[in-house]
Amino acid sequence: MATEPIMRVESLSVVLDSAAGSRPILSDVSFDVAPRSVLGIIGESGSGKTVLSNALINWIHKPLRLTSGRVLYQGRDLLALPEQAMANLRGREIAYIGANPTIALDPTIPVGHQIVEKLKEVEPGISEADARKRVVDTLDAVRIPSAVRRFDEYPFQFSGGMMQRAMIVDALVSNPKLLIADNITQPLDVTVAAQIIRLLRDLQSAFETSIVFISSSLGVVTDTADDVIVINAGRIVERQPAARITAAPEHAYTRDLIAKVPRLWAEAETPEPSPGSDIVLEVRDVERTYVVRDRARLFGENQVRAVRGVSFDVRRGESFGLIGESGCGKSTLSRLLSSIEQPDKGSIKVEGRDIAGLKGTPLLAMRRRFQLLLQDPYNAIPAHASIGRTIEEPLRIHGLARGAALKQRVRDVMTEVGLSPDLYDNLPVGLSAGQRQRINIARALILEPSLMILDETLSALDQVEQARLLALFEALQKRHGITYLYISHDLAMVRRVCARIGVMYLGRIVELADNHTIFETPAHPYTRTLLSSVLTVEPKPFLPETYLMEGEPPDPIHIPDGCTFRTRCPFASARCATEEPHLVATAEGNGAACHLEPGHLPPPSLPPAPAGRAAACLET
Amino acid sequence: MAFAIEFFIRRLSQGLLIVLLVAFVIFTLLRIAPGDPIRIILGPMATATAMEETARELGLRDPIPVQFGRFIVQVASGDFGHSFIRGKQGGASGGSQDGAPDLSQRASVMDLILTALPYTLILASLGLIFAFLIAIPIGLAAGLNAGRWQQKLGLYISSFFVSLPNIWVGVVLIYLLSAKSGLLPAIGYRGIAYAIIPAIVMAIEMSPILIRAIAVSIAANVQEGYFNVGQVRGIPRSKMIYRHVVRNAAVPLLNVFSAQMIGMLLGGLFVVEYIFSFPGIGLLTINAVFQRDFPIIQAVAILASAVLVLINILVDFASTTIDRRLKF
Repeated sequence: MATEPIMRVESLSVVLDSAAGSRPILSDVSFDVAPRSVLGIIGESGSGKTVLSNALINWIHKPLRLTSGRVLYQGRDLLALPEQAMANLRGREIAYIGANPTIALDPTIPVGHQIVEKLKEVEPGISEADARKRVVDTLDAVRIPSAVRRFDEYPFQFSGGMMQRAMIVDALVSNPKLLIADNITQPLDVTVAAQIIRLLRDLQSAFETSIVFISSSLGVVTDTADDVIVINAGRIVERQPAARITAAPEHAYTRDLIAKVPRLWAEAETPEPSPGSDIVLEVRDVERTYVVRDRARLFGENQVRAVRGVSFDVRRGESFGLIGESGCGKSTLSRLLSSIEQPDKGSIKVEGRDIAGLKGTPLLAMRRRFQLLLQDPYNAIPAHASIGRTIEEPLRIHGLARGAALKQRVRDVMTEVGLSPDLYDNLPVGLSAGQRQRINIARALILEPSLMILDETLSALDQVEQARLLALFEALQKRHGITYLYISHDLAMVRRVCARIGVMYLGRIVELADNHTIFETPAHPYTRTLLSSVLTVEPKPFLPETYLMEGEPPDPIHIPDGCTFRTRCPFASARCATEEPHLVATAEGNGAACHLEPGHLPPPSLPPAPAGRAAACLET
Repeated sequence: MAFAIEFFIRRLSQGLLIVLLVAFVIFTLLRIAPGDPIRIILGPMATATAMEETARELGLRDPIPVQFGRFIVQVASGDFGHSFIRGKQGGASGGSQDGAPDLSQRASVMDLILTALPYTLILASLGLIFAFLIAIPIGLAAGLNAGRWQQKLGLYISSFFVSLPNIWVGVVLIYLLSAKSGLLPAIGYRGIAYAIIPAIVMAIEMSPILIRAIAVSIAANVQEGYFNVGQVRGIPRSKMIYRHVVRNAAVPLLNVFSAQMIGMLLGGLFVVEYIFSFPGIGLLTINAVFQRDFPIIQAVAILASAVLVLINILVDFASTTIDRRLKF
């Protein structure tokens, strides 16, 4: 390359010091960052990506230690610079954006004011008015709606995606030459992540900034970067242009990485619905509204309409999936279904019995039938009780067993979920997230429930552990006839395990259909939007160019009239503004709440897969 | 603005209810406690008929709710009644044997409190200032240097201070600073110098809680993501500390202040004023307790609860102004 690289990393090594000695985190890492380019760095969790990104801004702290190497920027070695000189580059010429935007700013000061504070720090001469104007302009540039008003809002009033945009503004406002983006899309919804990536590409050409883009998602990196570096266990294993990395991977590890990315359309194997069996969970017109105080008005209150009339059935032995972006009401619904909260309206029947108004002992008795498993396996388990004690507690509460019989049942269930019964008297200290999630499963399973509500249960686990637990769930389903309700934003997992799927938007189910229909011929534009924003390495039937929308769902206080999706829908007509569409189910039980006839949506860019086992089953 | 108005309307009305309840409990307890105030007013030689007559005159034979209603109406107009014991010119006249009592000669409770209040305010504010002077540097150093010697120093100092009984500290300081060296006056009040030793005693009592609270909340905020991210964003560490860490640490500190410090301050004043014969509210109250001077005790108790409620409201308002996530 003729041009001088903007940054050159030479044989960088970092170790982690601990009582047991020092462990290498990065070994002999060398690469160049070309000017006005995006360099993608991909690696699995624990590969040393974040340490590398921190090393690029000389932000390595104990117990990490640099052992060798140089990071050259404009001919100077950043690692050898005195702290003061480095501080003058950080946030000025070299900007850094981290993975967690929600903790990045002081929670007590409005977002815009903090960006102004940074700008004034970086450019001491700038006047308050100029700084303010530049920040508002940049907020506009990253398409934050009504930037002037948002300038004075607090971090907690920003969603994750909006906050990440604000952090991009914070980084770009000082016109840096180099931007290091460390896993910035990781905590975001797929639709928002896709928007952020598109935005970053636009900004990169507008601001002429070089970007080092670090991510654990292959789809994200290949979509964003010009060149891609693959890093494994602290070593660079491959460097290739982004287009070639998926087409012609050279290193075995890269091939392995590509093979591990779940496919939604290619080689999809999907479970079938079981239309004949009885209904385990019947949800009818469930509504839940929260009242929050409004600071701006005297004795003012706002109604947050979290769940607005949801109805669906789940049949015995079936896996039902609920998908949607953050804030669509998924989690409120899971609290209602597991009777942690009562719905304002509607009925929730578990095996024919309405649990919506149930309290006290009758509710406790019914709770045996349905169990909830949550995402965080750490907070869900008491740290100071032995594992056996934790698992046996439900039996004690319900008075189902005691003495030796109780111990035996706990041991049996531990074996069944893949925990060694020897762990009975151990504390959960030092167990992995997957092992802890097994304790949760055992604790739920010991009551022999007929329904398990899995609210993002597998989201915190890595791919391998996730696959193991899915296999366990499948085995338990076959053995005990358990019905699962998956609540998740992970479309690949839902594609694999759920026979029927509901798509939620702003507190309503906008499309309800079997797996094949949802993924191959969805009738609602929102479903197609969700599918178009999946970052994957295979060809997609629904392309972002056609379906990807800007912005985020309206907040559930100010719900638009008519069709709630019309504000973001590329196909909205005048009718959508006045008349709210209702979900009408066809003979197969599929339906979408949309005024458009399915034929009026653009055809998928891939031919739908041959109707799988699912559709075949329906025809018979 | 709407929020502030709504906040104060809501909280002041709740606070008024709390103070009324506290007043009723205090009022009732004092009247069902053993010991007849009439005997104290009239002295040991009074006849049964004279006692009965005075009791009736003072309304002490009416049902308690009736008495309480009458009392509240009086309080609403700023009148807490008259002392049973103290004369207008000061000095106790209770138990005197010079015949029938003349209530108009007794001092008004409100006057007694208003006379004592300025002294107590001087002592309390001086005590708080000293406590902050001790606690802020030690607590800040400890919080910013978790795991280093500054943190240990903060721990040792607060452990040492917390184990000193205030009575003993008072006596030792009087001996060292006043009796032995003559640097400062100690007993009574004839100028602000008289408040210094008692204020030091109060500060030593209060500072351990403050040191701990400051150290813990500063250390917690230094751990927060925004502190590190701020430095990576290009804001110097020192500015992150005084603009952001201190601001965020103020909320838990304010809560410690309202929940623990003010209670401790009020409690400490009683003991310290008694040790130093400091003519404030504390001394007035202690003497009233010894003399069963019910009107003074109940007035002080009710005013103290009103002060506590008011400070809590102000602190909550300050907290929600600093951190808009808080809801009240």
